[in-house]
Amino acid sequence: MKQFSMFGDEPVKDDGNKYTKGVGSPLYEPKNKCPDLLELLDHTKTDQLINEIYNSNVTAAEKSFLIQAARRHSVFYYSKIADYYANCSEEMQKLMEKSALIIIDFEQAIELGYLELSNKVVQQYLEHNE
Amino acid sequence: MWTYHTLRKQNYTGKIFLVGDDQDLKINEYKKKYGKEMLVFDKKKAALEADSGDNTGDLRSTLFAVNTIFKLAKENNIEYFYIMCDDYSSINYKLLIDGEAVNTNVDNLDMLFRDTLEYFKSIDAVTIAFAQGGDFIGGIDNGHGCYRFSKRKSMNSFLCSTNRPFKFMGRLNEDVTTYVNLGSKGKLFLTLCNVAIIQLQTQAEKGGLTDAYLDSGTYAKSFFSLMYNPSCVKVALLKSNHTRIHHTIKWDNAVPKIINEKYRMKNIE
Repeated sequence: MKQFSMFGDEPVKDDGNKYTKGVGSPLYEPKNKCPDLLELLDHTKTDQLINEIYNSNVTAAEKSFLIQAARRHSVFYYSKIADYYANCSEEMQKLMEKSALIIIDFEQAIELGYLELSNKVVQQYLEHNE
Repeated sequence: MWTYHTLRKQNYTGKIFLVGDDQDLKINEYKKKYGKEMLVFDKKKAALEADSGDNTGDLRSTLFAVNTIFKLAKENNIEYFYIMCDDYSSINYKLLIDGEAVNTNVDNLDMLFRDTLEYFKSIDAVTIAFAQGGDFIGGIDNGHGCYRFSKRKSMNSFLCSTNRPFKFMGRLNEDVTTYVNLGSKGKLFLTLCNVAIIQLQTQAEKGGLTDAYLDSGTYAKSFFSLMYNPSCVKVALLKSNHTRIHHTIKWDNAVPKIINEKYRMKNIE
């Protein structure tokens, strides 16, 4: 079979299965080190906005609305969040999943299916162009 | 109608529906030409149901059509369908075979669509797109420091299901705004990276949406995505032959990561 890849990587066998990693993967590999919770989120901008809102003369209802809106500026670091997930308690994992802070690839359906589809595309090309 | 002919030329044999709106001055001409393949929707009504993100009332947007297509599919008893938002001159393989770049027409779209659908059915994604020509500019990470297809985007060609409905948002740049906004809430958007749609040049064809872009430039367009997702979208200058303002997504701050099940504790229900 011809060698193929998306960007010139050598095809790599994935733990003995038939899939190639030549097309990369949409999955993230968490690190062993658990980050501090403070590293998962940057709310500097949010705090600045909330401070300004508190010190304003708008109505209480307006303040409440603006404070909720200010939270849209909180910056989440999803690679750190994934690292944290991989190293935290069962209960925390469950709550993180419910809040969609992480996506679990059950039975590797996303990763292996993606690679399998990519391989089928290559096979299609080869069959029609050999 | 480029896409219609491209699909047939590249051996797609299934159904095609063209979606037009009742505000289009040529709609009767299209209906005559395409008959039952032409579906027409009430654009003003669709606009009332959409979150356009502004109060201009400007209907020059694909937002209203893309959201209505889910409803039209259901009415026509179609469970799985592609939304194709542009004029495609071809749909191409994008491969490296024996070190040689392959950029040639897909021979059998029926087969490609079938395989992509099989994958779509097997996972929880809300949509899967083909890549676009621009995705391949600039090498593996396009300077963004992550493998480009670990970016969870879906643009322009959307494989969808009536059982996995989602709403596009924002009058302009609705594809970007939607995959970032819903992506941040755990909805899965993917791109198949070794097939690409080849589009006619953006903002070169006169009429409709192109005029809307030219009215406000890409400035307003990019700001729609920023307005919906201020924590991870920036607006910056995109340097090219015609330097223009464009959105930039900070992907690590945009969408939750997908990880292998092995990192999950065994007892979680």
